[in-house]
Amino acid sequence: MFLKLSDIKKSYGEGDSRVEVLKGINLEVGQGEFCVLLGPSGSGKSTLLNIIGGIDHADSGNVSIRGESMGELNEKKLTAYRRDHLGYIFQMYNLIPNLTVRENIEVGGYLSDKALDIDELLDVLGLTAHQDKVPSQLSGGQQQRTSIGRAIIKNPDILLCDEPTGALDYATSKEILKLIETVNETYGNTVVMVTHNDAIKLMADRVVHLRDGMIRKEVINDTKVKAEDLEW
Amino acid sequence: MVRRYKNPLNKRFLREFKEDFAKYLVIFLMMTATIGLVSGILVAQDSMIAAYDESFEKYNIEDGYFTAKKELSTYQRSQIESTGVTVYENYFYDLETDTGSTMRVFKNRTDVDGVCLMKGDFPASSDEIAIDRMYADNNGYAAGDTITVNERTYTISGLVALSDYSALFSDNSDMMFDAKEFGVAIVTDEEFASYDEDFIKYRYAWTYDNKPVTEEEKSDAASDLVEKISDVTSLEDFVATYENQAIIFTGDDLGGDRTMMAVLLYIVIAILAFVFAVTISSTISKEASVIGTLRATGYSKGELVRHYMVVPLLVCLISAVAGNVFGYTLFKEFGASMYYGSYSLTTYETRFNANVFLETTIIPMIIMAVICFVRLSHKLRFSPLKFLRHDLRGRKMKRTLKLNKHIRFFDRFRIRVIFQNAGNYFVLFLGIMFATILLMFGFVFPVLLQNYSDTIADKMITDYQYFLKLPAGITEGDMWPEDLAELMLFQEKTETDNDDAEKFTGYTLKTLGENGFISEEIIIYGVENDSEYILPAPEKGEVYVSSGYALKYGFKEGDTVTLSDPYENKTYDFTITKVYDYEGGMCLFLPFNEVNEMFDLGSGTFAGYFSATPITDIDESYIGTVIDSDSMTKVSRQLLISFGQLAWMLDIFCVIMNIVLIYLLSKVIIEKNAQNISMTKILGFYPGEINKLYITPTTILVIIFMLVSMPVSTYLLEFLVKYIFRQMSGYISFYMDNTLYIKAFALCIATYAVVAFMQRRAINRVPMEEALKNVE
Repeated sequence: MFLKLSDIKKSYGEGDSRVEVLKGINLEVGQGEFCVLLGPSGSGKSTLLNIIGGIDHADSGNVSIRGESMGELNEKKLTAYRRDHLGYIFQMYNLIPNLTVRENIEVGGYLSDKALDIDELLDVLGLTAHQDKVPSQLSGGQQQRTSIGRAIIKNPDILLCDEPTGALDYATSKEILKLIETVNETYGNTVVMVTHNDAIKLMADRVVHLRDGMIRKEVINDTKVKAEDLEW
Repeated sequence: MVRRYKNPLNKRFLREFKEDFAKYLVIFLMMTATIGLVSGILVAQDSMIAAYDESFEKYNIEDGYFTAKKELSTYQRSQIESTGVTVYENYFYDLETDTGSTMRVFKNRTDVDGVCLMKGDFPASSDEIAIDRMYADNNGYAAGDTITVNERTYTISGLVALSDYSALFSDNSDMMFDAKEFGVAIVTDEEFASYDEDFIKYRYAWTYDNKPVTEEEKSDAASDLVEKISDVTSLEDFVATYENQAIIFTGDDLGGDRTMMAVLLYIVIAILAFVFAVTISSTISKEASVIGTLRATGYSKGELVRHYMVVPLLVCLISAVAGNVFGYTLFKEFGASMYYGSYSLTTYETRFNANVFLETTIIPMIIMAVICFVRLSHKLRFSPLKFLRHDLRGRKMKRTLKLNKHIRFFDRFRIRVIFQNAGNYFVLFLGIMFATILLMFGFVFPVLLQNYSDTIADKMITDYQYFLKLPAGITEGDMWPEDLAELMLFQEKTETDNDDAEKFTGYTLKTLGENGFISEEIIIYGVENDSEYILPAPEKGEVYVSSGYALKYGFKEGDTVTLSDPYENKTYDFTITKVYDYEGGMCLFLPFNEVNEMFDLGSGTFAGYFSATPITDIDESYIGTVIDSDSMTKVSRQLLISFGQLAWMLDIFCVIMNIVLIYLLSKVIIEKNAQNISMTKILGFYPGEINKLYITPTTILVIIFMLVSMPVSTYLLEFLVKYIFRQMSGYISFYMDNTLYIKAFALCIATYAVVAFMQRRAINRVPMEEALKNVE
């Protein structure tokens, strides 16, 4: 299996204020799969995403990609792991304010020696006309497209999306979801997306329902709904 | 298609400069000015040291001189020269000018002690004279003016520097030179020949055919030579160059303040590096989400540390380049004028100097890099997740700082602003402390020297100390009959009828020059058992150390002092039995006979007199040095002249430094609180109230920092002054006038008022939309 999580446990705080956020998560995601982690606030989905992304540590359990265990990686190797394998998209776009759209995307490209062609990508993202603008001159949707561009330009094995449409309106959210879908189909990246938007589960190959730090349900969609057909 | 991208983050640098132009400009100007000033002074200094060192060969500076009572015959000269030296005529007249100063007039020299023409021409006719450049400066003469010497009026054809008079000592036994009352000049051979020969001084310069190298060799060679010359003629005077203050004083003094200048530069750079560290920390906090994203995407901490270090290092590098350009051009002239104001130096060529490059470019870069690296490494130590969550506190706050509810709301608010910006305020404190130290240094030094002059009379053993001078040529060897007679005459004529006079014997040793102290002369006094001036007189086996010597070196009773006799290559140990209250001198007091025995001076031999009143019945030619209040204050007077130019520059520098630091750091505080300030505007606070919330805390702290800085800076200044005086002979005690605190405080407050005004404007400009953006 491409991505494998075995008995992941995580808690925060000490003593009486200790909260168990993840209580033993086991999950397997195949290469090129579109996986959605669904659940209400506090269910542990973002924590799980962060552990997969190597920016948070599990108290116990193991994450492995292509059989390589992350638990054995030191900080330097974890950085290299993220550099080589991961692309991140956050709810807030976190763009560098004094770089243009093109340059913000190049920030991701710089990290990879198998980076995609930026002009092609700008075209895919619909940002060619805006490539010389700085983030403050863009709409929220355009900023999120830019952040997606930054994440995928290095052609990562796994694209981690943390509520990528959380700050966007309906129409823009659908645009972004379409884009992620296109990226998944075009470049074959594995996508793991955290959302509390129930409708999004329909476009995924695999849907993981989380509640109180545990997987309550795991669904494999035999047929997926196109992003443009989603309604909520 | 697969391709490699250049790091796009690099494109931020230029934009960063543009966006925060005022901040970088201020830092750049401050750094450039400091580096330029230090570079200029060091370049001028090193170029002059090089010119001075080379002048020995370039101008064929003598290895010594002697003054004969009569003109040497050809035979006598050949006798002397047969010992391995070349002898040159260097006759002169000491003539009086119409202003009462003394002008030592020579013929132009060509073979030895060359003359450097600084301006104008050498004298070409009998009514022309070329005078020393420094004497001319001090007395307001310029080339083309007229000067009356020996009741004859000359046109000043040019200004010159005589290579054997870089420090204008009229007599080698003077404690300090006086370039206003004594000058040197050259006239044509014809004019020189027209003077009254009765007053000519038959001075001869000599150079060794094989130059001795070590101090011991030089001493031995000089001893052998003086013995030989004494065999040939009767001498008035004999001074080897290694003892000739007119030649060596400048060389010894040049470069003495180098360490201080470099330290000053490094402190300024360190403080500016801290300012950078604070501003970058603030930027990092602001960009936490971006940094978190970059780290999550795979940027390493090292890459980000390097990224954020580029701007400070670039500013430092550009400042160093610009500073050095100014240093080698504009400030070099200032540096040179400082040295030309103190010494009669020959011309110099500016030369590129690897040491100055190291001190003004490489070391500042290293300081900047280290401080920024340490701060950035610490600031960027958090995990990507913490950056994404804006959780950049090192330790989790266990609880919020609890403030008594009875404290007024505004006061509680201000307290929180202070705690929130503790790091900024700490750097501000360091900066104010440093600026205050410099400011106080600029204020204190002249006051300290003036106080030394004013109180020196109370710090002397007695009003007069006379050191006798044995006529040159009277040595242990064979004597000419006239020398023997001279010695007998000396012994007879150096007795005095003055009832206040008390004999002492003495010998001069040198300190070892360790632990940052220069090697300086220590007089070993032998004091009479029934002394009226050293009370109680030291008894057998007792060694008193003068309090000046003890304070400078930190000696106390029971300590052992080791001194050397460089000309004998021997060292002597003295165990201190008492610290004697005498700040004016660097000396030890031992019983009279013990000194004569220790140094094999011969029983009954004495070196001079202590006296409460002037001794008038000893011929001046037998008196080498007189230590009285006037001679003691020559040193401080000369220091005041040398330091005067620097003092006002230091004051201006400190004011600018204060403005820059307070401006930059308070700017960071306002930027950091822009959202809160905006929110208070939205909530309906009046501008005056907002100022009270955000400017008043800084005002209160600035006042506290200034008040704390003053006593602390006095304490540190005392150390600094002691350190500086380690590089100088003698001891000058630290003195602080309390009115200086008021002066410094008033200046600092006026400085702060300027910045507070700018802060108010900055707060007024914060837009209300600020509160609505970037909220996550």
